[in-house]
Amino acid sequence: MKKIRHTAQKNPDARTAWGFLAPALVLLGLFVLWPTLRALFWSFTDADLLRPQQAQPQGTANYSDLLNDPRFRQAFFNTALFALMVVPVQTVFAFFLALWVNRPEAYWRWLRTVFFVPVVVSLPVLAILWTLLYQPVRGEEMGLINALITGIGLPGQRWLRDPNLALPALAFMSVWQGAGFQMLIFLAGLQNLNSETLEAARIDGAGSWQRLRFVILPAMKNSIIFVVTATLILSFRLFAQPYLMTGGGPDGRTRSLIQFIYETTFQDRNLGLASAGVILFLFIVAFLTLLQRLAGKEEKS
Amino acid sequence: MSRVFKPLAGWISSALVAVFFLLPLIWMVHASFRPENRIFAGGFGGILDFGDLHAGNYAAAWRRASMGRAMFVSLTQAAGIIGIGLLVNSLAAYAFARMDFRGKNPLFALVVALIILPVEVLAVPLFLTARDLGLTGGLLPTLGALILPFSAKAFNIYFLRQHFLSLPMELEEAARVDGASTFRIYWKIALPSIRPALATVIVLDVLTHWSDFIWPLIVCTREETRTVQIGLANLFTEPPIQYGHILAAAVIATLPVLLIFRLAQTHMVASHNNVGIK
Amino acid sequence: MKKLPHIRCLLTCLGLGLCGMLLSACGDGGSGVTLRIWAHQGQEAENRAMREIVAAFNEAHAEDGIRAEIEFFPDHQYSERIAAGAAAGDLPDVMDLDGPTLAGYVDAGLLAPLDAYFSEAELADFLPTVIAQGTIQERLYALGAFESALVLYYDREMLARAGITPPDEDRPWSWDDFLAACAALKDAGLDPISLHMDESADEWYTYAFSPVIWSAGGSLMDPETGRFEGVLNAPENIEALRQWQRLFVLDYADNAPVEPNPFGVGKTAMDWSGHWMARSHLEAKGEALGAAPLPVIGDHRAAASGSWAWAMLSTSDRPDAAAKFLRWVVSTENGIVPIVRANGAVPARHSAFEAFPEYEEIPYRLFKQQLTEHGRPRPQTPHYPALTRNFAEALRDIANGADPAETLARAAKQAQTVADR
Repeated sequence: MKKIRHTAQKNPDARTAWGFLAPALVLLGLFVLWPTLRALFWSFTDADLLRPQQAQPQGTANYSDLLNDPRFRQAFFNTALFALMVVPVQTVFAFFLALWVNRPEAYWRWLRTVFFVPVVVSLPVLAILWTLLYQPVRGEEMGLINALITGIGLPGQRWLRDPNLALPALAFMSVWQGAGFQMLIFLAGLQNLNSETLEAARIDGAGSWQRLRFVILPAMKNSIIFVVTATLILSFRLFAQPYLMTGGGPDGRTRSLIQFIYETTFQDRNLGLASAGVILFLFIVAFLTLLQRLAGKEEKS
Repeated sequence: MSRVFKPLAGWISSALVAVFFLLPLIWMVHASFRPENRIFAGGFGGILDFGDLHAGNYAAAWRRASMGRAMFVSLTQAAGIIGIGLLVNSLAAYAFARMDFRGKNPLFALVVALIILPVEVLAVPLFLTARDLGLTGGLLPTLGALILPFSAKAFNIYFLRQHFLSLPMELEEAARVDGASTFRIYWKIALPSIRPALATVIVLDVLTHWSDFIWPLIVCTREETRTVQIGLANLFTEPPIQYGHILAAAVIATLPVLLIFRLAQTHMVASHNNVGIK
Repeated sequence: MKKLPHIRCLLTCLGLGLCGMLLSACGDGGSGVTLRIWAHQGQEAENRAMREIVAAFNEAHAEDGIRAEIEFFPDHQYSERIAAGAAAGDLPDVMDLDGPTLAGYVDAGLLAPLDAYFSEAELADFLPTVIAQGTIQERLYALGAFESALVLYYDREMLARAGITPPDEDRPWSWDDFLAACAALKDAGLDPISLHMDESADEWYTYAFSPVIWSAGGSLMDPETGRFEGVLNAPENIEALRQWQRLFVLDYADNAPVEPNPFGVGKTAMDWSGHWMARSHLEAKGEALGAAPLPVIGDHRAAASGSWAWAMLSTSDRPDAAAKFLRWVVSTENGIVPIVRANGAVPARHSAFEAFPEYEEIPYRLFKQQLTEHGRPRPQTPHYPALTRNFAEALRDIANGADPAETLARAAKQAQTVADR
């Protein structure tokens, strides 16, 4: 038996492999890699969005401009801080959510749908809803969150208008909005666990912590690595929430990297600088992903 | 006693959590039935106001956002991405999971690196590429531009590979011993075994592209090629700005994805028994 | 890799086929000229009116073999679409654009001058702000069919309840009068004014509050050198925004409102808003609706202006046909009257006002008077988007309690950095 496995894996039918890979590679090359290379090229030029054909090479000027731009540095810092808040909280939250609703009865299937709904609703509309939730106290009026907080005797906050709270407020909203997505991936991972193990490990009494730690976590390791990677990448893509809810303020404390790149591309029309931003963005995220993969070495089945 | 009580308590407490979790969306649905000048009245407390509810916002939203046509475009886009994507990505994922060839590891690293490329920042070069390929203009080219760039997806290749990897080798080996071709093994054995993962990918794809915004805005230049999100976004900028219409359109736009999610869920769970190692 | 040409070929064929079908479906396309027109998406009625204008144009020019086909784009990302189109060399023959974005397109060489297509007498019929907005370095590049206006709406009954004499229609309140009125309204238990600080579009802030700075003798940009630094953060601007900030410090205006139309639903006594609210406010308030020019800080009256305007692309290979279309949409009878009837904006030509008797009444009378006597376009610079983004951000921060001097200095520096690159 062992020998067959060995042969099956080590017997390289390279032509079949390339045949399997070709369609995906062609499409990825055409629609992902090629545009990226174009951006890489522009990043060393003074390309103007309205006339990229006339771009003139100018060495690494865009990169040094970016690194010396306080707005870019602030955008990087904001995005990193956002990821630092969202990744652990959302992963843990989604993990327990998945464990909790992973039961066969129809009721729990409905509940899964419930937790998934926010993922589906369009972000511009969620931006309205959460602006309403975060409404500061003014006279008798306040948003639901301030109503809850003042209800238990704490002072109301200005949330999106407070330089220190705006980014955490966006992070909190993002956890609420996106957790269903991560829950979905965890649920897919849980399907590979045998149901008795799960039943035994359901968090509903003494000893469940042990079972979680020694039974479920090791079995879910791949899923967890995957979710952390995905959440990290997605949180670095932060864009719509600050763009729609805070405009990057107050004090520029919520401007995200993508927002910076977007503004540089479409408002300043500085395609060269924006492309340099894209390339730096890719390096940063690739570096973080690599770091995180090294930290939690993937287990091969 | 506790055998009855415990699940009941579980249901009730979970229902409470669910309601709390959904509160913003409950407000949204409720407000979508309120008359325009009352939508924001009483802030969130307005959720308890049940006077004057009416469905007029839905009819207006459907018409103003051209929802019928937009649904057709969005559903075609989703179907195209799923159809082409499932095949192309699972083929590649299977090759990465089960085959050995030169340059596999660096190639896989490259594919994983592609995950991080967001369309928001690559929209301009991507548009130039789409144009070079003739994917702009009428309905068919535009559908091509909405589908082809997103059908092969690094994220999905990575995700499906994980699931192929976690399949036991025994079945595939047995088939190989019986003389089945690699494609046959992939098609008849491996692919059905990761049905829950495929269902997940479908949901994730539908979800991602249902909410696509920047790309459709650039390529959907004609009214007959607009997607649901563009139709919805029009309500934000097309005066008179009626929040009742916006919220109603948001509810309408959400429903198909939820439906797809519910349908896909059956497969995500039923797989329990299928994947189980016999 | 070999697959590629086939895909391209296939899709092009399909695309061409479809276009062919569409054209032949349109009937009389034939061998004539088909003009591509891009326009921002307005209200439903406005889009319908625009289509009718195009249809009338096509009918009138059927014999010349000219046809226009119009596409609408949602206006929040219209400029993104134009930019992507420019990058890919895929632009229409004629398009409309938002006034302040004009300089950028002219700078990039996208637009053709219009001077040759309009006589001086014709141009004299346009509101001065329309000409000013469309003129870059003494050449005319854009002409609008309508204008915008910004006023202080108020509810006569609420003001009376607080014992306030309404401001004069011809003479605006000084800032002190304005603050005193706000104080009296607040004492009477009313919410004084809405400034729409929930607006997510940067342009609202620049459009709505530049007049405050102008009225104090300041400006956003040096018109000669195009510099922002030292101008946007000049002492008079800082002082003006310090005055403006008091509206929030004293809680006369909500810094984080959620209700989009507080004045209309009776929450606030005054509204700092535009012509686009006139119909809805009249419906809600009737006789109680009053309107006055915006309060001023110094003695420089300057009213906000600027709106969508039509321009011709320099890449168009049938400029004469394009010019015919452009002349059509800004002609009083064929273009302006039908579109203004639909969208309620201020007509761009003097000769069009006859068709709108409401311009004898408040608030419309005020719109016209402001634009003819005090209208001022926003700064004309290719770097306008950077200016408006940074200025809007500064205004939001100042409303939020940030120090005006520091905030404006930063905004000026950031906008200048973009301009200098």
